[in-house]
Amino acid sequence: MSRRIADDARFLPLLAAGAILFGIFAARDATLLQAGTYAAIYGIAAIGLSVLLGNVAQISIGQAGFFGIGAYSLGFLTASVTWPAAVPPWMQYALGTLAAVALATLLGLILGFIALRFRGHYLAMATLAFGLICVGVFRESKALGGASGITGIPFPQFGGLAISGRASFWFVWLVVAAVALLTLNLLRGRTGRAFEAIRNDELAAETVGVPTRRYKIFAFAFAGALAGLAGSLYASYLGLVDPSAVGVSLSIDLLLMVVLGGAGGVSGALLGATLVAIANIYGHDLENWRPVIYGVLVIVVVIAFPGGLAGLLRSGRRSRTTVLPLPDAAAPLPARAPRAVTDSWLRVEDASKRFGGLLAVDGVSFGLATGTLTSLIGPNGAGKTTLFNAICGVGRVTSGRIFIADREVTDWRPHAIAALGVGRSFQNARLFADMTVLENVIAGAFPLEHAGFASDLLGLPQSRRSERFARERAADVLRLLGLERLAGTLARDLAFGDRRRIELARAVASDPGLLLVDEPAAGLNASERSRLREDLLALKAAGKTLLLIEHDMRLVMEISDRVMVLRFGKLIADGTPEAVRNDPHVISAYLGTAS
Amino acid sequence: MLQQSPQLVLAGLTVGAGYALVALGIHIILRATRVINFAQGEFVIVGGLLAYTCVTVLHANVWLALAGATLAGFALGLFYERAVLRPAARGGELTATIATIGTVYVLLYGHALIWGSLPQPLPFFSGGERDAKWVIGGVEVAAQQVWVLALLALALLATYLFFDRTTYGKAIRAAANNPLGARLVGIDVDRARAVSVAIAVALAAYGGSIIGPITLVGGAAGVAIGIKGFVGAIVGGLESPVGCAAGGLLVGVIEKLLEGQFGYGVADPVVYSLLLAMLLVRPQGLFGVRGVARD
Repeated sequence: MSRRIADDARFLPLLAAGAILFGIFAARDATLLQAGTYAAIYGIAAIGLSVLLGNVAQISIGQAGFFGIGAYSLGFLTASVTWPAAVPPWMQYALGTLAAVALATLLGLILGFIALRFRGHYLAMATLAFGLICVGVFRESKALGGASGITGIPFPQFGGLAISGRASFWFVWLVVAAVALLTLNLLRGRTGRAFEAIRNDELAAETVGVPTRRYKIFAFAFAGALAGLAGSLYASYLGLVDPSAVGVSLSIDLLLMVVLGGAGGVSGALLGATLVAIANIYGHDLENWRPVIYGVLVIVVVIAFPGGLAGLLRSGRRSRTTVLPLPDAAAPLPARAPRAVTDSWLRVEDASKRFGGLLAVDGVSFGLATGTLTSLIGPNGAGKTTLFNAICGVGRVTSGRIFIADREVTDWRPHAIAALGVGRSFQNARLFADMTVLENVIAGAFPLEHAGFASDLLGLPQSRRSERFARERAADVLRLLGLERLAGTLARDLAFGDRRRIELARAVASDPGLLLVDEPAAGLNASERSRLREDLLALKAAGKTLLLIEHDMRLVMEISDRVMVLRFGKLIADGTPEAVRNDPHVISAYLGTAS
Repeated sequence: MLQQSPQLVLAGLTVGAGYALVALGIHIILRATRVINFAQGEFVIVGGLLAYTCVTVLHANVWLALAGATLAGFALGLFYERAVLRPAARGGELTATIATIGTVYVLLYGHALIWGSLPQPLPFFSGGERDAKWVIGGVEVAAQQVWVLALLALALLATYLFFDRTTYGKAIRAAANNPLGARLVGIDVDRARAVSVAIAVALAAYGGSIIGPITLVGGAAGVAIGIKGFVGAIVGGLESPVGCAAGGLLVGVIEKLLEGQFGYGVADPVVYSLLLAMLLVRPQGLFGVRGVARD
């Protein structure tokens, strides 16, 4: 569990105590109690947006659309529809809530699917358009009451009991408690680790095997579901809903709550929602100034205090010493299902990659024998990294085919290729900067884990087992490479050479059959270089197939079983280091007269 | 419908002029700072209201008011870049996006504090209480509509000449394309960014002043103008200045035709859906080049 989420969890009992005290002391003050009730209702929607914005780094300014869908679904089903007498009111309420959440989730999935195509500001605009379309539909729909909306929505019903007045406060905060627990479960689990990886570096997340699209869609659906739930609570608490209550300004208010409180997790969202709800009720004297102040606050907080209120309360994240979990001899790690035994981890058939007028890779074909170390060399711009990208799915080939472990993966996405057993390091070491070394390597074990959304959300034992497994696996890898002392260091604090080695550790954590290593020796000093040499040979001895891009000729000649030379996208030589060293083409094209 | 349509097209081009200037401003700011300015529509309203103040308080004539609002927009843009965009951009794209959304709130409710929440009328550019009208080929043409389209053309031409024909305009474009390279040849990149934002805000303020006599200025209209301007930019191509201007006009025409056929309530959601549809089908826009729209 990452520190950020641990802090969040630690904060929850305080928030719960705060809510209970608030409920007791505000019991006689109807206005204050109302503010507290709104805080809970908006807080639920804010939690969803907080996860989206703070944990997955996706923005939405259309959350009011989902809120409206929830409110209108419940309103329509409990106030506009005439139910047969056999259906008791509590069942109508339950069905209405269920429909509200289900419909909001479904639209969240759809919006998430659309949103995948965009980043940053495009995403913001697309979600804004979604929110506006929702309001337009509510306003134009006669069945939903047009501009005057739906009135006469009954209070929540349980058995013969209608929940109104003071009871509403306790009821909505109970729902908040449930939502907070589910959200924390989710963030603690494999899903939360995937979110964290996506937030840090989407491409790196994809290459360690995180299906980033699926997780992003899920995050949108989750945020949509919570906004829908909040909307349904709003409609039944107030007894009515109209288009003006679910317009763009609500979307921006929700954004304000999250930014003010601190995006990411639960506590910031609830703090922000409480502050705004109280300000909304007590700010009447400032009626016209209030939104201006809100706007200024958003700008100031997002620029000067990006962690929001929760970020100010919690200590900044720093590197620290982490004691690695010792392997539990009594309960051996579940062994990974043995990979398909193949004598050909990688086969490239006539691969070409064109960028506009430039043919970066030109009809390259080769295969790698299992358990060998092959180096790919060539002058800068020869197409080496382009070829790597094509193999691991980051940049598809223009023509030709690529097989990994005898399966064609030419059109696969990087995460699926990673899950087949391909690990990769980048030329510029793309670590997850805000995560510790241990967390980075745990993320590398992602494909070996089994927990899914549902077991994470409900905090099932499978979710915990999965985390324990990944943690022990990561600890093993760090021990194997002699990197234990760095476990608690934040990746962004690492020295350059260490960064390289941690990236290798992360790639190894998924127990890959094939490792693609891009210029590992660049910028290393002599001792780091000799350690790298040992690491690579140890990996080969462990049966991995390695493909290395490297400019350090001495290293290449020392450790390679085979050397391939790429020049202007074409393979011009391929053989033992000895043969390539003496190849006249290579000498003239690449090595020059030296060596 | 068919008989009305030339009339509706003309009305659409008139409101579309506002969207076109918003779209062009969004394009200029995006190119200079890599930030989408959500507040562009509010600057249209603020500009129109500044012109209104010039006319009612300072008793300036409309032309001086137009110049005053445009200059004030330029100054406001310099301030906005320094106070909001520059520090926010350091925090990354999400931070910058959120900061411009915060700006929408400040401007939207801020101008209501100063000028009240009701839209205000600007005087017609030809003078007089009622605008001169001609009927040409069955289409009723108001003098202000002619002014709007002529002044839009003038602004577009001036923008083009500045960025394409002057040394400083070219330097700004160089700074946007390759900040490091521009710094190496001695261009003050920060200043180039500030001037770009200032020009974009000035264009918005100018737009508010020329459409003000027709649409009135104030109230909550800026939100819709901003979003429709963005729809125009997406339809035409966010990376293409010509596309942005043409897209803005096109959105205005589509909006008025839909309004004429189905009424006001239907037109807006359909125009917003157009945004989603374009983003999905042709994100580079009608005038854009594939592969550049989604960086």
